[in-house]
Amino acid sequence: MVALARKTLIHEWRRFLPAVVAVGFAGLLQLLQAALVLGIFGSASVYITGSSADLWAGYPGTQSVNLGRPISEDVAMRLRMDPDVTRVEPFRWVDADWRGPRDTGGVSVFVSGIDTRPDGMMFSRALPPALRAKLNEPGAVIVDKADIDSLGVNIGDTAAINGQRVRVVGVSSGLRALGGVNIVSSLDTARVLDLDPNDAGMMTYFVAKLRDPSKAKQVAARLTGSNAFGPYTVWTAREFARQSQLYWMLDTGAGAGVLFLAGIVFLVGAVITSQTLIAAVIGSIREYATLNALGVGRGALRKVIMEQAFWVGALGLVCSIVIGIVLLIIARNRSVPMELHPLTAAVCLSLSMALAIVSGLAAMRSLRRADPASLLR
Amino acid sequence: MNAAAAMQAPSSRTPSLQARGVSKSFVSGRVHSSVLQDLWLDVHAGELTLISGPSGCGKSTLLAILSGLQPADAGGVLALGHELGGMGMRELENFRLQHTGFVFQGFNLFPALSALEQVELPLTYMGLTKGMARKRAIDSLEEVGLGPRMRLRPAELSGGEKQRVAIARALAKQPELLFADEPTSALDAANGQTIIDILHRIARTHGTTVLCVSHDPRLVGHADRVLAMEDGRILSDHVRPSPSGASEAKEPSA
Repeated sequence: MVALARKTLIHEWRRFLPAVVAVGFAGLLQLLQAALVLGIFGSASVYITGSSADLWAGYPGTQSVNLGRPISEDVAMRLRMDPDVTRVEPFRWVDADWRGPRDTGGVSVFVSGIDTRPDGMMFSRALPPALRAKLNEPGAVIVDKADIDSLGVNIGDTAAINGQRVRVVGVSSGLRALGGVNIVSSLDTARVLDLDPNDAGMMTYFVAKLRDPSKAKQVAARLTGSNAFGPYTVWTAREFARQSQLYWMLDTGAGAGVLFLAGIVFLVGAVITSQTLIAAVIGSIREYATLNALGVGRGALRKVIMEQAFWVGALGLVCSIVIGIVLLIIARNRSVPMELHPLTAAVCLSLSMALAIVSGLAAMRSLRRADPASLLR
Repeated sequence: MNAAAAMQAPSSRTPSLQARGVSKSFVSGRVHSSVLQDLWLDVHAGELTLISGPSGCGKSTLLAILSGLQPADAGGVLALGHELGGMGMRELENFRLQHTGFVFQGFNLFPALSALEQVELPLTYMGLTKGMARKRAIDSLEEVGLGPRMRLRPAELSGGEKQRVAIARALAKQPELLFADEPTSALDAANGQTIIDILHRIARTHGTTVLCVSHDPRLVGHADRVLAMEDGRILSDHVRPSPSGASEAKEPSA
């Protein structure tokens, strides 16, 4: 078989370049947009995804982890009573006001009071044991390296949270917060910083570890049942992380924006690609008509066009993958929150391929002009 | 009267291509123009038949109808014993694939393909094996004298060479019917001469029915039979009995 589609693509690459670039850019934009959105909104659930707990117990109806309300410490008892629960750990969330040593004005911060034991569940994936241990000192806090400038501090500096003196004992990475700044402290320090009288003797969350993490769903459903220990709900970590991310995505309108932008990118890409492919078909229309005169069926000619569209799509995808990887590496090195799962990447790339295929279908229509009788006039 | 012309054609052989009372008219806007009127014609295998006439006389329309590229309004076309009017689009495509070759005024070659690939391309759609298609393509290119230049792309070939590639593309299909529309009008005298010689030789050596449409007066001397057309009718039908003999004129009675 003579590879007409591929040979034409190579020989007339200048003609096809705009289509390849359009598909490539469309793919790249979708990829980066998805990575950025997932990265940014992923940080809404960093408390959950950065920890190793299987279950989260909090105030009923809590839509996002940053919106927790105090629950009774008795809930911890209820969790411990369950035979599948191996460990329970409290987590105190304090919305607070930061005054740094330098002139930064007031900065609103989220203090996470955690169990500082080396095998603690909270932030076990974000804080190495040595760093956790430093939190045992009263008033010790850890800040994220991305927030050092906005807080106006360095390691060893002192500052004030809610008017109480704290000292920065270390920096973490990957604990960037959404809509504020994350500060990590020990449970004791957090209790001192929490000035709300309603929070006395209460905790924001209790997190639990299970003997068999795969049973998380059943155990969560079982534990949520009673209200004997005050109002609370139990979520699986996965569910709660997802819920927090979705809350931010919908609350900020970013979700709709992303879809809208994806639609625009798709549309513009399809217009450029289909126009390029149509021009290529029209440019060879007399040759196609000749083949049809010689008896090569319209179906076979359509296949040539679709093959061209496929190769344009494939080349475009290669471009977007290569450039995308380079940009993701750069972003990671500069702590830009970007996150890309294989599934999301596959969806973005198949969207771009769909764009090329749709354009091919549009270009196929112009094959109707390949009327061999018109060659005789 | 055209019926008379058909009857005067050599009767010893059955015609490979027949027009039976073909009529065709076009409507553009409110203008209704009749291009062919009740045309009868027999074309025979092994001959180069030339239809000549001024532009607009309907000769290209006749070629389109006889080759199955366009349907007739009335009348029928019998090609190799098949009634073309009764075939659907796919059937017609398949008939053309199996039995016909075309050479056009423009060479219509794909810029990206070498001469060899241009010729191979339609063959692969005929269901030939790769090796068979290649062999036939090489044979055809050698027959038109392009053996040494078969790896070149159209941009590297002269006009005459391009037309020879187009002829090889049609010839490689080993068609019973070969249609040529103004094959020499884009070429200079020498190249035009080569092309018509090749077409003539194909008719003789392969027994192909070669039907050529042209207003180029240089071709008249090279055809086995010359039909003069005007206003949608065949005015005269000259048959040359032998390659060396003088033209024998048969004027229609009317």
